[in-house]
Amino acid sequence: MTSSVVSWLGPWFDYTINGLVVGNIYALLAVGLALIYGVSHLINFAHGSIYMVGAYIGWLCITYLKTPPPLTLLAVVVGCGLLGMAIERIGLRPLQGSPRIAPLLSTIGIGLVLDQVVQLMFTPDPRGVPLQLPDWRIQIGGGTIGALDILIAGIGLASALALYLFLRFTKLGWAVRATALDRDAAQQCGVDVNKVNSLVFAIAAALGGVSGFLVGMYYNSIDPNMGFHAGLKGIVAQMIGGMGNVPGAIAGSLLLGLIESYGIAAFGTSYRNLFAFLVMIAILVLKPNGIFSRGRSLPPEPLTGTFIAPSAPVRIPWQVVAVLAVAALALPLVVRNGYVLQTLGIGWLYAVLAISLTLVAGTAGMISLGQAGLLAIGAYASGLLAINFKLPVATTILAAGFITAILGTLIIFPSFRLRGHYVTIATLGVGEIVMLVILNWDSLTHGPVGLTAIPPLSFFGGPLLSGTWIYEIALCALIVLALLQWRLLSSHLGRTLRAIRDDDVAARSYGIALDRYKSLAFGVAGFSAGIAGALMAHIFSYVNHETFTSQVSLLALTMVILGGLGNVSGAILGAVALVSLPELFRAAAEYRMLIYGIALLLLIRYRPQGLMGTV
Amino acid sequence: MVRLHRRQVLLGAIAGTLFAPVRATAQSKEPILIGVTGPLTGQYAQYGAQWKKGFDVALDEINAAGGINGRPLAYVFEDSQSDPRQTVTIARKYVADERIVVEVGDFSSAASMAASPIYQAAGLVQFGFSNSHPDFTKGGDFVWSNAVNQKDEMPLLADFVRDLGLKKVAILHLNNDWGRTAKDLLVAAIKERGGEVVGSEGYLADEKDFRSAIVRARSANPDSLALISYYPDGAQLTRQIRQAGITQPIIAGGSIYSPKFLELGGNEVNGVLTTVPFFPGDPRPQVQTFVKAFETKFKEEPDAYNARAYDTFILLAAVMRQFGIERKAIQQGLGKIKDVPSVVYGKVVFDTTTRRVADPFVSRVEVKGGKWTAYEGAKPAMR
Repeated sequence: MTSSVVSWLGPWFDYTINGLVVGNIYALLAVGLALIYGVSHLINFAHGSIYMVGAYIGWLCITYLKTPPPLTLLAVVVGCGLLGMAIERIGLRPLQGSPRIAPLLSTIGIGLVLDQVVQLMFTPDPRGVPLQLPDWRIQIGGGTIGALDILIAGIGLASALALYLFLRFTKLGWAVRATALDRDAAQQCGVDVNKVNSLVFAIAAALGGVSGFLVGMYYNSIDPNMGFHAGLKGIVAQMIGGMGNVPGAIAGSLLLGLIESYGIAAFGTSYRNLFAFLVMIAILVLKPNGIFSRGRSLPPEPLTGTFIAPSAPVRIPWQVVAVLAVAALALPLVVRNGYVLQTLGIGWLYAVLAISLTLVAGTAGMISLGQAGLLAIGAYASGLLAINFKLPVATTILAAGFITAILGTLIIFPSFRLRGHYVTIATLGVGEIVMLVILNWDSLTHGPVGLTAIPPLSFFGGPLLSGTWIYEIALCALIVLALLQWRLLSSHLGRTLRAIRDDDVAARSYGIALDRYKSLAFGVAGFSAGIAGALMAHIFSYVNHETFTSQVSLLALTMVILGGLGNVSGAILGAVALVSLPELFRAAAEYRMLIYGIALLLLIRYRPQGLMGTV
Repeated sequence: MVRLHRRQVLLGAIAGTLFAPVRATAQSKEPILIGVTGPLTGQYAQYGAQWKKGFDVALDEINAAGGINGRPLAYVFEDSQSDPRQTVTIARKYVADERIVVEVGDFSSAASMAASPIYQAAGLVQFGFSNSHPDFTKGGDFVWSNAVNQKDEMPLLADFVRDLGLKKVAILHLNNDWGRTAKDLLVAAIKERGGEVVGSEGYLADEKDFRSAIVRARSANPDSLALISYYPDGAQLTRQIRQAGITQPIIAGGSIYSPKFLELGGNEVNGVLTTVPFFPGDPRPQVQTFVKAFETKFKEEPDAYNARAYDTFILLAAVMRQFGIERKAIQQGLGKIKDVPSVVYGKVVFDTTTRRVADPFVSRVEVKGGKWTAYEGAKPAMR
C-alpha cells in the first residue's frame, strides 16, 4: 500500500471485505429462515436455537468422538434435521387449524426450551470449538481471510444451488412449491402437505445447524445463548432480501453485512446495529417485498382475517369485573407479604404494557414487537424530567404518557402501510432503534451509564416505596387505563379498528382513513406504555439501555397472545400469569425457565386462541 | 477469638436460663443465611455459575473453621436472570425473610440498582461484589461493594502502559455502564501520564464480529491496543486483531483474566498483557490456600469471578464473627472491619463515605506459551 490512492481506498476496501465475510455468515441462517417462511409463512423464532444445537453437536463430536470433519458435518446435518422434523411434528403440526399467530408463539416457546435444555446439559460456560481445517490465511488488503471463510461461502452457495435445483427439478421440490403457493389446493391435488412441511423443516434445520457449527468454529466459541441474536440477524437479513426468497436471503445477508461494516466505518462501532435497522425499515417501507423481489410474485400477506382468527371471547359480566377490581384493591389489607405484593405490582405494570399492546396488536391487527421501545421512551422521559427539572413525579409520569404517545406514533408511522409479519419485523426494528439511540445519545441519556437516582413516587414529600404502595399505584394506573381502553373499544372507534384489522381494503373503500385510526390506536397504546415505563423508572430508581430489551417486547407479545388478542381482561390475565409463573417455579432454580417454557408450549397447544379468546 | 468465644458461651448461658434448652440447641444448629441474587439462566448465566463455585469453596473453609461462632453459614441463590423485574421481587422476598442477614448481588447494574431502594428502606445490606458502576453505592448507607473500583484500577493499567513505553493507544471497550466508565478513566489516566489515546471504539455485548471495529482502530495508527472487555469478547477481539495482521502489543483490563480466555483465544492470545487483582500464581498464602481448595474441589483453575465471590463470603464471615449477625450489626461492622485477608486486595478496609474498598492488589501478568504467567518486565515484542 504505497500509492496514495490505494492507502486512501485501503480501509474502505477492508470494510467491504469484512462486510462480505460477515454477511456470508448471516446468509447460512437466512436461507433456512427464508425456506420455512416461503413454505409455511412462519417466522421461525426457534431457528437461532437450532443453530446453537448444531454448534453443540459439532463440539461434542470433535471433543469427545474425535470425528474427522466430513463426519462431524454429517452428524450436525442429521442431528439438526431430525430436530427440525421433531419440532414440526410436536410443536407445529398440532396447531394447524389454529390462528397463524399460535405457531409463531410456539416457535418462541420451543426456542426457550432448547436453550434451557442445552444449558442444563452442558453448563452456561462458553466452549471453544477447535478448528478442523488447515490454518492458513491469505492477505487481502489490510486484512486476511482463512480457509473457513471460503468453506462458509462455499457451503452457503452450494446449499442455495442445491435448494434451487431441488425445488425446480424434483417432484418433491414441486410439491414444496405447490404447498407454498396454495396449501389447500396442493392437498387437493394429492400432495402430502404434512410430509412436505416436515421435509422443509428438516432441510432448514440442517442448514441452521451447519451454520451454527461453522460459526462456532469460526469464533472458536459457543454458548447456550448464542442463538437469539444470531436468529434476529438472520430474520433481518432475509427481510432485506425479501421474505421467503431464498436467493434474496443470500443477497440480503451480504448486503446487511456491508451495511453494518460501512455503518461502523462512517459513524463508529456502537452505531453498527442502529444503521442496519434504519436501512431495514427504509427497505421495508419503500419495497416491502424485499429489494430482490420479482414484482408481486408472492402475495404480501394473507389477505383478510387469517392472521388473527376470530373466536368467541369469554365474556365476563361487568359486575364481576368490578367486584374483582375492588377485591384486588383491598388485597393488601389481607396479604401483608411484601414479596407477593411486589410480584403482583410488577404484574399490574406489565398488564398496562400488555393492554397497550393488545390494542395495537389485537384490535388494530398490527402485531408489534417494539413495545419495549415505548416503555423506554416513557421511562427516560419521566426520569429526565424529574432529574433535570425537579418536577414532581406525578406530573412527569403523566407527561411521559403524552410524550410517548406522540413520539411512539411518529416513529412507527412509516410502518403503518405494512401488514402482518412485516409490521412485526418493522416494529422490532423500531424497538432496537430506540434502544440504540438511547445508548448513543450521550448528552441527553447519559449513554450506557444510564439514569441514576431517579426519584421515587412520593406523597407530600414522603417517598412511597413499600410493596403495598407499589401494588396500589400500579393497580390504580391499570384500572384507569383499562377503563379508558374499554370505553374506546366499545365505541364506534373500536369497531372501526377491528374493521381495519379484519379487512383493510374493505375498510378503506368504506371511507375509513386508515392512517388516522392506526395513529389513534398507537397514540392511546403509547400513552399507556409510556405511563407503565415511567412507573417502572421511578420504582427501579435506575434505568439504562439494558432495562428494556427486545426480550421485554417478546414477553409482552407472549402475554397478549396468551390472554387472547384484543382482549383487555385477557391481556391482564396473561401479564399476571407470565410475571408470576417464573416466581412460582423459583424452587426449581436452574430448571425454572425450562418449566416455564414447557408450560407456555402446553398453553399454546391446548388454548391457541388465548385464555380469554380473541375479541 | 478467645474473648469472643467466652462472650458467646456467656450469651448462650443466659439464653439457656431464659428459654427452654431445646430452643438454644436448635438455634445453634440452624445455618445463618446469605441471600444471593444473580443470573442462573438467561444470557449471563455463566457468571452466576462461576459465583456459585467461589461461594462453595468459601463456605467449606468457613464452616470447617467452626462457621460463625459455632453456627454454620449457608446461602440461598435466587435466579434473577439479571433482570430488574425479578431482582425487585427477590429483594422483597429477602427483606421479609428474617433468616437472611445480608444480601449479595446482582450482576448487571440495571438489575442491582433497581433493587437498592428496597434493601435501603428495609435496612438489609446489599453487597454488590461485581458492581463497579460509579453510582452503585450511592443508593444509600446499606449499599456496599468490594468490586474493584475503576478509579483505582485504570490508573494502574495506565502505569503499565507507560512503563511499557507505549504512547499512542487505541481503546476497544464494551459499551455498557462498566466498560464506558472504565474507558473514560483510562483515557484520563493515560493522558496524565503523557500518553495519547488515538481512538476508541465501543462495541455491544452480543457482538462477535469485530473486524470492522479493528480496521477503524488500526486506521488511527496506534502503537498499542487496549481492551476493556470480559473474557469471551476479549478473547474474540484478540483473535481477530491478530488475524487482521496487527502486531502491536495488546494490553487489557483485568476483567479478561480467566483460564477460559486462553481456551477461547487459542494461539492468538499469546503476548496479551494485563493487570489483575487476583492471580493464582500470586505467592501470598491466602491466595494459595484458595487456589488449592478450588482446584481440589472443581479440578480447574479459578478465575476472577470465582475469586471475587470467594473473597466476598470470607469478608462477610469475618464481619459476622466480629460484629454479630444482626442486619444492622453487619452494616456497621462493614464500616469498622480492618485487615481481613483477601485474595483480591492486600487487606480489606472500607472507606465509610464511599462504602468501597481502596487499593486493590495488582499483579502484572502476560500470556506466555498458552499460560498466564507473571510479567517479568521485558518490553513487549512486536509479534
